[in-house]
Amino acid sequence: MRSRTLYGRYARTAYLFLLPAILFFAAFFYLPIGNVVATSFRTGPMADQWAGLGNYTQALADPAVRHSFLVTVGFSAMVVAGSIVIGLALALAIDQPLRGRVVFRVLLLVPYLTSVAIVGLLWRNILDPELGVLNRALGAIGLPEQQWLNTAPLLTIAAVTLWQSVGYTMVLFLAGLQGIPETYHEAARIDGADAWHRFWRITLPLLAPTTLFVSVMAVISGLQAFGQAYIITNGGPGDATDLSVFHIFNVAFRTRDFGYSSAQSVLLLMVIVAFTVVQLRAGRRGEVTY
Amino acid sequence: MSSHPSRRDLLRLVGAAAAVPVLSSCAGAPATQSAAPGTFTVYWNAGHDYAAYRKVIAEFEQANKVTVNLQKYQWPDLRTRLLADFASGTVPDLVEEPGGWVQEFAVSGNARSLQDYVDRDGQAMGFPSDWQPVTVERNSYQGKVYGVQLHLTCNTLLYNKAMLRDAGVEAPTTWEELLDAAKKLTKDGVYGIALNQDYTYMWPWLVQAGITPYDLDTKAIMEPRADAVAALQFQADLIHQHKVAPVPVSSTDYSGPQKLFSAKRAAMILTGPWDLEPIRKTSADIELGVAPPLKNKTAATQAAGVSMFVPAKAARPDLSWDFIKRITALEVEQAATKETGMLMPRKSWVDLPEVQSDPVTKVFAEALPTAKDSSQQVRLTGQLGKWEEQLKVMYQQVLIQNQPAAEALDAFVKAAEGFLR
Repeated sequence: MRSRTLYGRYARTAYLFLLPAILFFAAFFYLPIGNVVATSFRTGPMADQWAGLGNYTQALADPAVRHSFLVTVGFSAMVVAGSIVIGLALALAIDQPLRGRVVFRVLLLVPYLTSVAIVGLLWRNILDPELGVLNRALGAIGLPEQQWLNTAPLLTIAAVTLWQSVGYTMVLFLAGLQGIPETYHEAARIDGADAWHRFWRITLPLLAPTTLFVSVMAVISGLQAFGQAYIITNGGPGDATDLSVFHIFNVAFRTRDFGYSSAQSVLLLMVIVAFTVVQLRAGRRGEVTY
Repeated sequence: MSSHPSRRDLLRLVGAAAAVPVLSSCAGAPATQSAAPGTFTVYWNAGHDYAAYRKVIAEFEQANKVTVNLQKYQWPDLRTRLLADFASGTVPDLVEEPGGWVQEFAVSGNARSLQDYVDRDGQAMGFPSDWQPVTVERNSYQGKVYGVQLHLTCNTLLYNKAMLRDAGVEAPTTWEELLDAAKKLTKDGVYGIALNQDYTYMWPWLVQAGITPYDLDTKAIMEPRADAVAALQFQADLIHQHKVAPVPVSSTDYSGPQKLFSAKRAAMILTGPWDLEPIRKTSADIELGVAPPLKNKTAATQAAGVSMFVPAKAARPDLSWDFIKRITALEVEQAATKETGMLMPRKSWVDLPEVQSDPVTKVFAEALPTAKDSSQQVRLTGQLGKWEEQLKVMYQQVLIQNQPAAEALDAFVKAAEGFLR
């Protein structure tokens, strides 16, 4: 009886501490999400007419929605692969006893701390084929000029995203690397394993939880990307960089169909949740313990 | 009794303190902007903050004992803000719009009819008799006035006189002459012409080719189709076949050609009076020439320019109307033209000495009667947003990605037929 009372008091205390966060999330996340779900069943410029599942069936049959989703999946795949490969490579490089590695870490992390609007404008100006700095530099050293914003726009905005975010994934991998006990490497060295084998057999398997976290976060941020298309390419050329959230934004604020854009938002949320669940399940199945 | 609060008291205090900002942010949500006493909120384009308008604002504030909160936005951001306002019911007192929104919001019930004010004050202020007819038509819906035009602009050809003189070419008057001139001007890192990635810049070419974008009665889209294809392909060929223009880059910024022209990397651009000020400011040494609209089937251009409207839920429409009257007075138009070279919608503006004595403004002013509204019929369907989204994709596919114009236009027409049904 006494322990139950004590438990109740602890629980009340815990809930009291959680209350501010619960209120914050309710006011600024859950209520708006509920509102979006409710709006997704309505239509008209003021989203005031009942549409039932009409917006959902329309979205599933809409080639523009399908196209923007495929563009987004392609973008996310590039960002996920780049985040893992480049982030891990940088972390491995910086995990060595190099001089000035703290400065190097800070320099790699600065882009992550910069707003996507500033990063977008910066690279938009650097990459401009006619007036950008990059082509002047390439021309000065006798290299052919680039037109990447026109010839490979999706790859270009994925690369800009990686430039901005890879410092963060590097820090995560670095933390993971430093959490691997040195004794495993020592034992492997004594057994005659070379650096390549130690990386494949010890480092990589023991980094699995970090890799899983990085990939889940990269998939979520890739599927939610907006600023890159909005600031750098305006979704173009044509619809080559029409990322899903940018597409949804345009449906809402340019074509003024809030019901339809809400339905697409809900579908995207479902896709993100599904991807995350699948990744977490697959990742946990592959976890290694020594 | 202890003077120290118990753990429970502390928890209550923390909980209450944390709840305050959250709850107050809901309870303390500001009343509608338009209802805020003493403040008159205006949404304005960031590029139109002229000294001439600041003077009007100061007079308006003094006369009405209010403070004008002039909120400046780029057009896409202004639209995002405005639509959010409409959804929340928190609306400004007055909105400047880039052309097309007045009818769109009249159709949706978000704009207030100004007809009662026009009936009362129209004769005294010369509205609509002193306004170019196209500006009244584009701001009316079902026979009622919903907006008043602030600027009336159009696109025409701007050229670098020295470059043309050095190349031994005259300012072109037709598409063929333009191509010929551009070929001669393209050398040493300079392009003969620079085209804009923004789809609105295709309209002068299409109206010169005699295209009707959409006919509300017959439902025909982009007809005559063969001429529309030819007009689009001509632009793409300037870039990809003749290589007399750079490949533009897709973005929200439409100042690319102006920047190339100002940097003396392009000899000719097609643009409107909004680019005059940046060119003069950044490259005062450029000998600026302005030519009348080019001729294909006809010599014509696109009517553009901005208007003002009052949201339906604005709390003080009397004040909003007073603001409109003051800022559209002929002497204000005169001052704004003198300051920036901007073109104005009053018929009497054309006869002002500032217009007639300025060789640049005069050419633009003389082009205005040939200016056609490219989206009038589409606006009345309430589908302008979808139309513009599809146009943007189609134009960039042709201009930037070099997709055959016939193919891209067919796909556009098919999509448009779907939502204009």
